[in-house]
Amino acid sequence: MSEEKGLKPIKIEDLLQRTVYDVDEDPHIEIIDERGVPKELTMLCPCSCYTTVGEKLLYSYEGCLECGLCRVLSEPWGLRWEYPKSGRGVQYRFT
Amino acid sequence: MSSQTPTKFDVVVVGAGPAGASAAYLLAKAGYKVLVVERGRGAGTKELFGGKIYAEPLRTVWPELDKEAPIHRWVTRERISFVKGERVTTVEFKLGRKVAFTTYLTEMAKWMANKAVESGAILVDEVRVDEIIVENGKVKGIRSGPDTIEADVVVDAEGVNRILLEKLGLAEKIKPDQVALGVKEVINVGKKALNERLLLDEGEGMAWFMVGDVTAGIPGGGFMYTMKDTIALGLVLHIGKAYEAAKTGELKQTVPMLLEKLRTHPFFSKIWGDADVLEYGAHMTIEGGLRYMPKKLYMPGLVVVGDAAGLLLNTGYTIRGVDYAVYSGKLAAETIIEALESDGPTEENLRKYEEKVRASFMFRELVKHRGIEKVMEDPMFFTKLPAMLNILLAKLYEQDYEEPTVLEALLDSVKESDVSLSKFMLKLFSVVSKL
Repeated sequence: MSEEKGLKPIKIEDLLQRTVYDVDEDPHIEIIDERGVPKELTMLCPCSCYTTVGEKLLYSYEGCLECGLCRVLSEPWGLRWEYPKSGRGVQYRFT
Repeated sequence: MSSQTPTKFDVVVVGAGPAGASAAYLLAKAGYKVLVVERGRGAGTKELFGGKIYAEPLRTVWPELDKEAPIHRWVTRERISFVKGERVTTVEFKLGRKVAFTTYLTEMAKWMANKAVESGAILVDEVRVDEIIVENGKVKGIRSGPDTIEADVVVDAEGVNRILLEKLGLAEKIKPDQVALGVKEVINVGKKALNERLLLDEGEGMAWFMVGDVTAGIPGGGFMYTMKDTIALGLVLHIGKAYEAAKTGELKQTVPMLLEKLRTHPFFSKIWGDADVLEYGAHMTIEGGLRYMPKKLYMPGLVVVGDAAGLLLNTGYTIRGVDYAVYSGKLAAETIIEALESDGPTEENLRKYEEKVRASFMFRELVKHRGIEKVMEDPMFFTKLPAMLNILLAKLYEQDYEEPTVLEALLDSVKESDVSLSKFMLKLFSVVSKL
């Protein structure tokens, strides 16, 4: 399938630049025990907040879109999942 | 009405989305002391949906909707495209009547919440509710951090991630096959270009659903809605099946890259070209409202509305959430007013909310279409059928000298797309009977 001339997919880190955030200094999501958090989140998380370094699963909350997907796929003991407090986090404008 | 102290309200509404705003508006209008608590910075900043709202249920709450609401375009054209690689088969329907409009839910939620505030409700934003307080089997109010607020009734309009309901024990942990993930880009095409490229008149809009290769084998589909100057382009993916596909390695691209693949698709991208992506977002939605519904939509001092109550219709090609949310907020407000006018928000009095929901068009629709999401999960519909259609048309139209008869082409396309004809007819019947 040939792509439209000049139309290249935007990388996720650039895509997230289009969205406005007010990032909290405290993470609202935290991996407690990675045995309870599936590695498949590296493929499924819509902001690609999950990455693996070697065997280790890492999470960065800064680009989180607060959808709740990782909470659904994780064990309650594996992940602490909360909405950001004090109005922080993603600030949707045109959605 | 009960005696009023500064920290005691008649009603506390958790969440300033469509369901919460509608309940708060009607209760405040009836003279009750209403507090709406919203976790976002102002109403609307945490809202994301596809793009289309059915107007009539909203008019029962706000008859002034058509004149005042931030309506972008009225949907006059509906398109469905079946995608197989570069081949695309499209059906377009020009509506004879305007029933739904497009908008940004961020704007629309703000409008609805403003209506509630204008009627006397107090909106407190940037406050995340951590707990619904229960004493002796009765809901007494809410807690946020160290602060508690008392109320005679709490309206839970917390949305699809029902953290508070789970803590209360009214809802179980969400299962992956109960929900779908929506991802969406807002692209700044420009009004003139949109009207020219999609043959739209001023104020008219298009809703476009895409099924087939766009979801890489995962049940779901793509969507495009025209806003005033922009489009909302997105994907809805069944989470349980997406998880399986990621586990088996069938899913080769990340979810955001699947959406980028749709944006750069050689056929579809003709509409928006290289126009700027203004915003990217994601939100969860419900697969099968009845399966998502909590066992009870009420308890003494509490009613549950909107997405949290599973009140969303998802037929696979259409999702109706905002109008259901608003309408459930209306039924909740009516029940609460009746309860507070008689002997209070007791179990018996608030049960009437669930009775109203069950007697409404929402419940009738959810029952009628029950199980459609299960049928639609079959690869037959989102992979094989789109493939078959495109192979069939390719056989008829991509010949240099000799065309097959329609029957020959049909039988060949059935064979090549690996569809069993008898299974197909059976499945088709079960879809047609549930849609």
